[in-house]
Amino acid sequence: MKTMMQFALAGLIGLMTWAGVATAADSGYTKQKVVYHINGDNPKQQAGALRNIQNHINAVGADNLDLRVVMHGNGVSLVLLPDALAQVPKFKNANANEQMTARIDGLKNQGVAFKICANTLKGRKVNKEEHLYDVDQADIVPSGVAELAHLQSQGFTYIKP
Amino acid sequence: MSIDEIDLNAYVDGELSHDQEAEVLEAMRDNPELAQQICQLGQLKAQMRIAYANPPQPDRGSMRRVGRSWRAVAAGGAMLSVGLLAGWIMNGNQPGTAEHNRFVVLDPEGRGQAPAVAADDETRILFHLTNADPMVAGELLDEVETMLQAYEADGRPLRVEVVSHSDGLELLRQSLTVHESRIQELAGDYDNLTFVACKNTINRLRVDHGIEVQLVPDAEVTDSGVSHVVRRQQQGWSYIRV
Repeated sequence: MKTMMQFALAGLIGLMTWAGVATAADSGYTKQKVVYHINGDNPKQQAGALRNIQNHINAVGADNLDLRVVMHGNGVSLVLLPDALAQVPKFKNANANEQMTARIDGLKNQGVAFKICANTLKGRKVNKEEHLYDVDQADIVPSGVAELAHLQSQGFTYIKP
Repeated sequence: MSIDEIDLNAYVDGELSHDQEAEVLEAMRDNPELAQQICQLGQLKAQMRIAYANPPQPDRGSMRRVGRSWRAVAAGGAMLSVGLLAGWIMNGNQPGTAEHNRFVVLDPEGRGQAPAVAADDETRILFHLTNADPMVAGELLDEVETMLQAYEADGRPLRVEVVSHSDGLELLRQSLTVHESRIQELAGDYDNLTFVACKNTINRLRVDHGIEVQLVPDAEVTDSGVSHVVRRQQQGWSYIRV
């Protein structure tokens, strides 16, 4: 009986320690995994979305966040350079002006990952080196929708601003 | 859901909702290691209950001893039931039992009678359409079709639901949609695709505007689009707002 109790007590202490570690965080929030979905090309809405993300980081803390932005369809206009608009007629807006790219850089510096749909690039004949702002191969996902589904299955919370 | 230690503890303590419990059971069935882990956790908790129910103290008579042995029997029973459950799960449960029905949630009108909590390699996506713009709906159908094709080509299981709700209902209204033939084609080609209309929206149109909504033949109806969206997410579906 005594050894059983010691065993149980050790287990209880272990559980309590583990629970304590899991909830410890400066902001009062535990770690969050979040994916923001952008598929519209309204520059005001996109700027608003980036502001939402900054506020999210401010509230939770960059260290507590694994935050991804997934763009597809018209949403790719967020990183489309204004000079490239004439060469990609399937887009109506190219919103990666100086102001927008400064916001994007600021978020990237805080660990935000921007993911772009390969289907959209292919379908709309976009060249990532020539037409997009600061996008490399690692930022491309095969399908924006499949990426959103995958991330949710991995425990990411979905937000569509 | 990905099942973490908190979920396991909540499960053993019987504190999960039915849906969550069903997901843990589902996961245990496919994962003997997980079942083993839950079994051990159950034993540990039963032992803790015994230990804390019986702090060592002088024996004060037979009544006390009866109480103590009753608790020991109860704890033993708890351990046994956890073991039995794990064994039942590891041996694969029979379909058709009352327990099994908890995994099956029918789509409205009985279509798509596959379990809503599905095999863990199946991708389940719900698209929530609330926008009346036929361009947006057209792009959605393109997207859905691309996906269905890609998954079929790779032999990966996929289920898709398009829930039209509020202004998004126009996609499924016979008199307004420009996509009726496309919907018919897609629904005919893919039995893993379901179009779902919100009954609240239909009722609202009748009451507020005197409109009797006629849906395209391939549309299913659910009582509330919002409840449906919530239910699907609880069942582990991915959600995409169009």
